[in-house]
Amino acid sequence: MTNYDIESLARLIGALPPPPLGWVSAAQELPRVRAELDDLIVRAEGDAQLRARLVADLESALAESGISPTPRILAEARLRLEL
Amino acid sequence: MQGSTDLTDKALVARCRSGDDDAWNELVARFSRYVYAICVQGFRFSSEDAEDVFQDVFTKVYQQLGRLRDDAAFRPWIGQLTRRTCVDHLRSSREDAAEQVEPPGVDDRLGELDEALTVREVMATLPESCQEILDRFFARDESYKTIGEALDLPPGTIASRISRCLEKLKAAMEDPDASSRPVDG
Repeated sequence: MTNYDIESLARLIGALPPPPLGWVSAAQELPRVRAELDDLIVRAEGDAQLRARLVADLESALAESGISPTPRILAEARLRLEL
Repeated sequence: MQGSTDLTDKALVARCRSGDDDAWNELVARFSRYVYAICVQGFRFSSEDAEDVFQDVFTKVYQQLGRLRDDAAFRPWIGQLTRRTCVDHLRSSREDAAEQVEPPGVDDRLGELDEALTVREVMATLPESCQEILDRFFARDESYKTIGEALDLPPGTIASRISRCLEKLKAAMEDPDASSRPVDG
């Protein structure tokens, strides 16, 4: 492996600071959120009342279902619900 | 069962593909700094734009992991994916799509970040105490006082400990077996 001097190593360690903690948590939550969204969309296909709630106020309906309505999630839900 | 933090990228990706949540958490943790650095250092994005791209990249990773042909090649794959996502983000905000959008010197910067990720991988083989003190001082930019309070160490010992850990990292970069020896003090 390449030989590094101490100064280069120090610089390279410093080149990768951590991103804000919230960004990492949000990315780690992706599988759970997507699974919940999948489940909600499937349920809405067979439940007219649920679909009506989602169409009327998507943000609140998602929040009531335990899904944090981030802009990204809202955009995906709108796309999948064809809103 | 082997913990996710000890897994190679290849094994970690295989576990993610099988729906292992712990493996996904580790994959995000392992590559979050790299993706973040490409956004803010390579492409000089504002915090807001960087967050958009960061979340986009991990969404794409989650969606496209099944298409990765060689699990061992995850690292260059996520690097390229991040770069393409950064370029798409820049293009979406410009009228002339054919315009050169990548900032000057991006190849050199991304090369350096790739090197930094290699150093991180070797650093992960050092004792936890070394990883923490080196990360706090160089990557989190914490003072001796803050580090001393957090790790319950006299501030006077921190400089020498950092120096010993750097020497240990240097040795590990040259000879990976060297990292198994303990660090005192």
